[in-house]
Amino acid sequence: MHEAWRYFLLFFGAAIVANILLIRFIALCPFFGVSNSLETSLGMSISVIFVMVMATSVSWLAWNYALEPLGVGQFLYIPTFILVIASLVQFVEMVIKKTSPPLYRAMGIYLPLITTNCAVLAAATESVKPGFFTKLSIAYNYGFLESVVYTLGVAVGFSLVLIIFAAMRERLDLAPVPKFFRGVPIAFIAAALFSLAFMGFAGMFGL
Amino acid sequence: MDWSLIWKAAIALSGFGALLGAILAVASKRFHVEVDPRVAEVLEALPGSNCGACGLPGCEAAAEAVVKGDAPVTVCKAGGPDVAAEVGRIMGVEVGSLVPLVAHIHCRGGKSLSPIRAIYQGVNSCRAAEIASGGGKACPFGCLGLEDCANVCPVNAITFDEEHIRHVNVRKCTGCGLCADVCPRDLIQMVPASATVFVRCKCQYTGKKALSVCKVACIGCKKCEKVCPADAIHVSNGFASIDYEKCTNCGECAAACPTDSIQLWEAREGHPEGGVFVVPEKKRKRDDRGSDQ
Repeated sequence: MHEAWRYFLLFFGAAIVANILLIRFIALCPFFGVSNSLETSLGMSISVIFVMVMATSVSWLAWNYALEPLGVGQFLYIPTFILVIASLVQFVEMVIKKTSPPLYRAMGIYLPLITTNCAVLAAATESVKPGFFTKLSIAYNYGFLESVVYTLGVAVGFSLVLIIFAAMRERLDLAPVPKFFRGVPIAFIAAALFSLAFMGFAGMFGL
Repeated sequence: MDWSLIWKAAIALSGFGALLGAILAVASKRFHVEVDPRVAEVLEALPGSNCGACGLPGCEAAAEAVVKGDAPVTVCKAGGPDVAAEVGRIMGVEVGSLVPLVAHIHCRGGKSLSPIRAIYQGVNSCRAAEIASGGGKACPFGCLGLEDCANVCPVNAITFDEEHIRHVNVRKCTGCGLCADVCPRDLIQMVPASATVFVRCKCQYTGKKALSVCKVACIGCKKCEKVCPADAIHVSNGFASIDYEKCTNCGECAAACPTDSIQLWEAREGHPEGGVFVVPEKKRKRDDRGSDQ
């Protein structure tokens, strides 16, 4: 298989076919929590893409150069990854606060929230244990670049769905929805229909 | 069982912990940002409801602006004079006297008083209804009753009755003025909390035409102007309005008003809205619906 095509499949599979929100149902709390308005979902998306890629890179290094050589990876990966990701986010927050106050103001409130976001941990886990949540047919032991591309796919898929969903919820606010379905209930129904639609991507390109 | 795994796990985790802790410790020194301690103090003094009435995104932004000197110490409208005085004390500035304000809605023509001329089924918002041929109410100047002001109120001080007319709970109202900005018909005015005389109509029609769209409309008869001893009430654009800087709360205008559109506010202990609107005693022969229940 051509190398570029493989990376595309990895990205596409992570973003669309095995979408983290609609197919794997991970990170549903930010999905419903910050999809009230387009503006907050955009801020959250950018922060998630940024943090997720960084977190996976560091987790991959920690797995391949510390946990696996010691043979403790199989049972120590969750505490280690949480430790690594939390410290990383703290560190990045400090750096941004010092070097770029406007960026800090834009991402500020989302950064600490993302620290314990399950999607970030899921992406890091999947990059070292492919197929842990949803098996893609091309999943095997990812190299560094592959895990970064894969995570970028997961984050972009998250952002894509979050932003589309926020735009839809803004319109739902003005729609003649029955009183008892207003707000979160209709959002749940819409998310379920959305998920059904995304299941249509299953098997695309043999993924 | 392989006991060495325990040692390895302990070494791996404590190693990671020590390494990351060291990095964070160095980073917190290296990337330390000086924050003016007054920002935290001012933030502490502000109400913290992030209502946005000051025009800044939240109380934290307001506190930063005050400390930087970009905003006056009286920036917080919602907090009123107490908060302004406290912020002034922190910043070392004297604060002059501030009049606390409450919202007043200049309409009491509910469904039974101002007939419905059309059924509005569009987007459930006053602003949308105003664009779409002015909603369904007969009076083109009155309260549309679609809750825009109630939705924007950060303290839920605005409620509505079965007549679809807004009521302001003066106990909860902080005087932030967000509702006054959002009302497409400009019916909400911020008035001094000490005021007790209110014109409860903003209908620009006069005489018979005004009464044809609402039973309790101000008809622009100018009787109130004549009886006012302080020259505080004037009729312009077809409705009376009170200049609260001159008004002495004597209530003469309310007694003279033939349609009861000028009413007196009577504070009552234990009343859910903090008080009720009443019509002066000598005019009690008329049924004053929607005002005193």
